[in-house]
Amino acid sequence: MDATKRDQRFSWLLKLPVYLWTLAFVFVALLYVLGLSFLSRGEVIGVGGEWTLDNYARLGDPSYLRVLMQSLRLAVVTTLICAAVGYPFGYLTARLGRTARSVVLLLLIVPFWTNALIRIYGWRILLMSNGPLNNLLLALGSISEPLKLLYTDGAVLLGMVYALVPFMILPAFSTVDKLDFSVVEAARDLGAGPLYAFLTVTVPLTLSGLAAGCVLVFIPSMGLFFLNDLLGGSKTVLAGGLIQQLINSRDLPMASALSVLMLSITGAVIVVYRRLGGTSDMMF
Amino acid sequence: MKRHGAGSLVFLSLVLLFMYLPIFVVVIYSFNDNPSRIPTAFTGWTTQWYAQLFTGRGGYADALWLSLRVALWSVAASCVVGTLGAVGMARKAGRASKLDSVMETGLTLPIMIPEIILGLAFMVVFNALGLRGNDLRLVLAHTTFCIPYVFLNVKSRLVGMDASVFDAARDLGASPARVLRDITLPLISPAIFSGAFLALAMSLDDFVISFFVYGVGEGTLPIKIYSSVKVGVSTQVNALCTLIIAAVFTIAALSRYAGALRRARQRRLNPGPNAVPAAARH
Amino acid sequence: MKKWIAMVMCLLLALPLGAVAEEEKVVNILSWVGYIDDITLAAFEQETGIKVVWSPMDSIDNMLLKVTQGGGAEYDLILSSDYSLDILRKAGLLQKLDKEKLTNYDNLNPRFLSQTYDPDNEYVIPYVAGSPLIIYDPQKVPFEITGYADLWNEALVDSVAVMDNSRIICGIALKTMGKSFNETDPEVLAQMQEVLMPLYQNIRTFGDIESYTAVTTGEASVGFLFTSHLYMVQMDHPEFKVVYPKEGLGYGIDGFVIPQGAAHPDNAHTLLNYLMRPEVAAHNAETQYYMNVNSAAADYLSAIYLDSEVLNIPAETLEDAEFIEDVGETTDLYNQIYTAFKNQ
Repeated sequence: MDATKRDQRFSWLLKLPVYLWTLAFVFVALLYVLGLSFLSRGEVIGVGGEWTLDNYARLGDPSYLRVLMQSLRLAVVTTLICAAVGYPFGYLTARLGRTARSVVLLLLIVPFWTNALIRIYGWRILLMSNGPLNNLLLALGSISEPLKLLYTDGAVLLGMVYALVPFMILPAFSTVDKLDFSVVEAARDLGAGPLYAFLTVTVPLTLSGLAAGCVLVFIPSMGLFFLNDLLGGSKTVLAGGLIQQLINSRDLPMASALSVLMLSITGAVIVVYRRLGGTSDMMF
Repeated sequence: MKRHGAGSLVFLSLVLLFMYLPIFVVVIYSFNDNPSRIPTAFTGWTTQWYAQLFTGRGGYADALWLSLRVALWSVAASCVVGTLGAVGMARKAGRASKLDSVMETGLTLPIMIPEIILGLAFMVVFNALGLRGNDLRLVLAHTTFCIPYVFLNVKSRLVGMDASVFDAARDLGASPARVLRDITLPLISPAIFSGAFLALAMSLDDFVISFFVYGVGEGTLPIKIYSSVKVGVSTQVNALCTLIIAAVFTIAALSRYAGALRRARQRRLNPGPNAVPAAARH
Repeated sequence: MKKWIAMVMCLLLALPLGAVAEEEKVVNILSWVGYIDDITLAAFEQETGIKVVWSPMDSIDNMLLKVTQGGGAEYDLILSSDYSLDILRKAGLLQKLDKEKLTNYDNLNPRFLSQTYDPDNEYVIPYVAGSPLIIYDPQKVPFEITGYADLWNEALVDSVAVMDNSRIICGIALKTMGKSFNETDPEVLAQMQEVLMPLYQNIRTFGDIESYTAVTTGEASVGFLFTSHLYMVQMDHPEFKVVYPKEGLGYGIDGFVIPQGAAHPDNAHTLLNYLMRPEVAAHNAETQYYMNVNSAAADYLSAIYLDSEVLNIPAETLEDAEFIEDVGETTDLYNQIYTAFKNQ
């Protein structure tokens, strides 16, 4: 089969750049982190010369395990909220007219081309006890005393959703966009109600976008901690923050070991997801 | 197709409003004449921050310029590499090879490895390879963490796409390259753009990785902003963000206006059925 | 939309990736942006013809990681804090100063020389100094604060803003027990953890800049802040009270060092000598809101500066102030305690 062979050779050609790039930069970086995580810490700074499993053993400390649990919980909740907001948003946008949808997408993404720190400062001003939000509520008479909005878990969650929801919306949008709606209409013609048709036809057919969105939201939310610092007053330690704290105390090997552990957790979540999803039709 | 209830329009507007709440603050505070290094109260109107923006050492022009340059190169590179990779891997649907799935996991790792560790690894690797030149180092690092965004978006669009179109074209004798150019790429272009949007946002915002791979000089915009926190982030940055947003909207509006003009002219020049595909091409 | 994006992309891609041209009369500094103000840098450049290239850093710890892992070869001067300079020295990454070239060296106040991080004054030129203090709003705090122990007071639930640093926060708990900031005895540290835990319910926020913002906006009524932030709060709220904690002060000095392998050490010396001029040193202390370390500069300081209790801590109060020093492996224990403290 000449054509098949040619196809195969062509797809190899397409894959080659990303293979090389991944080998050259990603796997080398990964090896570096793995290597560091098995070294002892240096006397003053950096790494010592001895190989050890000690870094992983020290991660067993209950206070560190709680850090991981807390990060995991925040990541899951963030992903769920992003899915609940982002998927419908992507879906509705894809069903808009050509002009309207490009305007909506542009409006959505432009804020993200400005600096994240500055946008979070904006949120902080909004949430202050003498900030606009509290003043509005006071003026409306719905509260009698300013609410403490800043430096709470709710503020952190708000910031996380704010920062990550586009990562759910865009993949959802592009899968709904490719969907052939005659299938949905066929289901409607066969007597399915709009909600039933949506749940049984549209959602399964666009699951790959939802899955891609969940992965793109979940993974960064495991590591994000500057929102916790700026909006949550860093009142809890998250995994990303713990890595920085270890770097600050000049324990590079242990910071690497924690990174490897975090990688394994994210990897495990994705593998479980792939198993549950079953087919390779899924993104992951 | 466009049967939208009022409810869904309200939902879309509310989410967009949510995205813009802090932006309104940024815009308003860019006119704040509070001279404090970390202004929190609005004390009056001024345009002095705009005047200072591009003058002198304290200005942000060089940093902005470097950020844009690096972002565009990285996004372009990651679009090419990520898209080709996703198309290449999606070809044989249903039978992902072991190698493919290992590589797929590998290429998404950069968004899983904590930034500080990835940045350090890049720095050590680049130093070992003797790579000099800030621009090159930044572009290589940024491209690496941009690829996953393009790849994941394109791949999720390709999954479950009706393969019969590609097969039919092949059966009719089109070369694989031709199929890619004339059929696959137009079909996946929305996903490439989604990925590019996200990649651009990530690149323009990256601080930690850039800090480590960067050598001597003022640095990218985030490097300059984050390293001002000890002394106080200047209100100039609010002015800069306002200008960026204004610039993007102006360019978008102008191109829309130009597009509308062109279409109107085309319609005048060749009325009839030809006008339809011309408009639909965009 | 696609079209204009494509157009902009093509335009920008056509531009070459620039490389920074090598210049002879250059000095490369690694530090926080703005830590020497633009006026001083411009005047220096004008006078000497040496161009100052400022390479930014965001935190001491990231800087240390970068410099010690092989990313520091290109800088001529690093401006950072005491303990980090100590680490760079111990790691053999610094070169000795050439005092011959530093004719203004004698202007420096001996009180800020011969410190633990550089006992023989071979490597470090001090730039500014400071000591974290307590500041509070007497309108909102129903009693007088005199020391760290008062931060535990039950009247201050959810109203204290402190810096986010395991060693400093654990350190103030140690101070209330009459111990040192640099305690290494595991038993004492275990007791300290018991003492520290209840402080959590009083904390409104952690973080350096966060605490400043929280105190100055009224989000928190008590702050334990760094010198420049204390001064900035006082500018906004002159009525706030500053406390020299009775248990004893912490202390910090920021200074310049020249790394091994610096390409322009002569230019670095020229800049250091310039910064030690009395009027320049006075200007820097005033614009950075830190304590002045230059005796000759005292004549040039403004009345406002000399009036500030934050910037002019009496010598006898500072006498037994302690630096945060490296405690080696015990750092791990501090980390565990601090993490447990925050995640209770």
